[in-house]
Amino acid sequence: MKKENIKKALMLVLSVFLILGIATGCTNSSETDSDQETEPVVINFWHHYSAQSAENETLMNVLIPKFEEENPGYKVNAVSHEWAELHDKIIVSASSDSLPDVARLDIAWVPEFQKMDILVPLDSEMADFNEVAGGLLDSAMSTGYVKGNYYALGLNTNTKILFYNVQAFEDAGITAPTTMDEMFEAIAKLSGTNENGQQVWGLNEPALAGWNICPYIWSYGGSITNDNYTKATGYLNSAKTVEIIQKLADMYADGQLTGFNSGDIPMTDGFGTGRYMMLLEGPWKSAEMDGAYPDFKYATADMPAGEAGSHSVLGGEDIAMFKNGNSEGAWLFMKFMTSEFAEEEMAKCGQIPVNKEALESDTVKNADFAPFLNAITTTYARPPVASWSEIDNALSVAVTDIIVNGADAQATLDALAETVDGLLAE
Amino acid sequence: MNLRSSQDKLRVGLLLLPGILMFAIFTIYPIIKLFLMSFTQWDFGSMMDHSFIGFENYKAVLSDETFRIAFENTIIYTIVTVPGQMVLGLLAATFIHSIPKFQVPFRVIYYIPVITSWVIVSLVFRYVFNTEGMLNYVLTNVLHLSESFIPWLDTRWGGSGVAMMLGIWKGVGWNMVVFLAALQSVPQDLYEAAEIDGCGSFQKFFKITLPCIKPTILFALVMLTIGGFNVFTSIKMITGGKPMHQTETVLTWMYYKAFNTGEFGYAAALSFIVAIVLVFLAVLQFRAMKNKDAN
Repeated sequence: MKKENIKKALMLVLSVFLILGIATGCTNSSETDSDQETEPVVINFWHHYSAQSAENETLMNVLIPKFEEENPGYKVNAVSHEWAELHDKIIVSASSDSLPDVARLDIAWVPEFQKMDILVPLDSEMADFNEVAGGLLDSAMSTGYVKGNYYALGLNTNTKILFYNVQAFEDAGITAPTTMDEMFEAIAKLSGTNENGQQVWGLNEPALAGWNICPYIWSYGGSITNDNYTKATGYLNSAKTVEIIQKLADMYADGQLTGFNSGDIPMTDGFGTGRYMMLLEGPWKSAEMDGAYPDFKYATADMPAGEAGSHSVLGGEDIAMFKNGNSEGAWLFMKFMTSEFAEEEMAKCGQIPVNKEALESDTVKNADFAPFLNAITTTYARPPVASWSEIDNALSVAVTDIIVNGADAQATLDALAETVDGLLAE
Repeated sequence: MNLRSSQDKLRVGLLLLPGILMFAIFTIYPIIKLFLMSFTQWDFGSMMDHSFIGFENYKAVLSDETFRIAFENTIIYTIVTVPGQMVLGLLAATFIHSIPKFQVPFRVIYYIPVITSWVIVSLVFRYVFNTEGMLNYVLTNVLHLSESFIPWLDTRWGGSGVAMMLGIWKGVGWNMVVFLAALQSVPQDLYEAAEIDGCGSFQKFFKITLPCIKPTILFALVMLTIGGFNVFTSIKMITGGKPMHQTETVLTWMYYKAFNTGEFGYAAALSFIVAIVLVFLAVLQFRAMKNKDAN
């Protein structure tokens, strides 16, 4: 009986502790704020530099200490997320009002977050905005411009250029293509089977979304929308757009193009083992190839020019601040991250700067990404509209239908243009 | 338990309180919130301002062609994997139950897939079934059964089929353990009596074993049906919904709508539709089993 009583008492104590634990866990920590008045103000910064990367090391060991030294009274709490996870996390945090002060955003997300009304319009809120923006590349700044206001500063930029298998080109007696016609010829010539009887493809694309197919469309003379991003009919289903998509479909049917099916060889492996002869990729590919296939010989060239010129797709990241955050601290940190010093330090890790002074530095001119600097001047950005995710999905589905299933290109793109018109009007 | 005094009741109440609080905060509240969300326009453009739109989200889900495909895929996944796991699990359990030695090693071997990570085995399956994967290598280069590589993962039924295979492979162990426990509880004297009456092995299995473990079969059936509807990781890792969303299931489509296009209201409505279907199926299964019992 005694034992039972002790047991009961113990259980009671345990449950009281559990309730207390839950209760204290749910209370606001504001009680302790008064004790921390002398503590520095914390700037919460979310980013998607990989946790193990050189960029993250530079951020944590060089940039943040330097910022904190220059701005006593501030402390930066940097949190690394996976790329896709960061996008989702911001969406979820927006609905629970727990956003950070500032974040590094993929340029494609800015219109989406602007529509959510969570970003601060910098040009109307920050007195020295013009001075700061003037020091950065116009093309990079354009990615933060939505519906009449600037919501972000350009942070780093990138694009895709042509990577090709040097040995295969030498064996075939051809040089790097400079025009799209030469590129198609090279693709046809290099496709077939290798000495082991394995199939070899002239061109690889790992997906059929806007990021993948836009360079072909734009360079060939086609387009996705009009210049104001209000209409797709007449552009997405124009003769040129239809022609180039049909060309890609023919290449797929002839075994010259692959990589976007679930069962295909991953891009880096296919390129490094000589199964994919050419691909369009960003500056990060060099590090991936050096890591996975250090002995493989490849070279780079600009996106081959079509009738409309050589127009690859603009990628990169912006830095933006969220409403309800510490805007003063966030702005200081944003200015620091886009300063010549920070941009040059990040250039050492392969990030292409957008700060005009940093671009003139020797670090940048001698960097591995030097071949990309020229290409960036002729890139186009994907339409900076809030419904881009939906448009991109519809585009990917339609192009897959044409290329993989052999659907009629004109009819499919006509229907797609109509759908996109609706999405643009929303 | 006989609650004698109000002191006892208070004590019981206090003991239950942490559990009830947890359940209320982490289960009941999100369900209510989700239910309310399903009647509002909760998307990128209206993150901060959720206007009530009645059944619009439900209409949007039910008229969505991709949802129809995802729902079909989920139903077929469940119809294939649930009996597959149960039959193979029961076979394994019967086999292990009948052997006098090495029961433990066999139980461990069958159970290993259950405890392995979904992500890892999904990737392994993906590598096996890749167009340039192990299976095609064996079929084409070793056994010469096929002249060219078969793109297993590139079609709707190919990709879904591989996910189904993975689902069955991973679930057999759990079924084996559940059925083994049930088999051990079947009274031995029933078998002895049946033997005296001249019953063969098949008769014993169908006339004694199966009726005796019926509650366990029902339990497994309901749990696995719910599990079938929850298929997510394998599809996400193996096909990612490709090609053209043809291999999506209800959960991968819900995730896509919530986090890729930001239509949280739509995703909430979708999850409620799935929940209603699941409750309906569970009630149906219980009824069917009960009716059989009565007959």
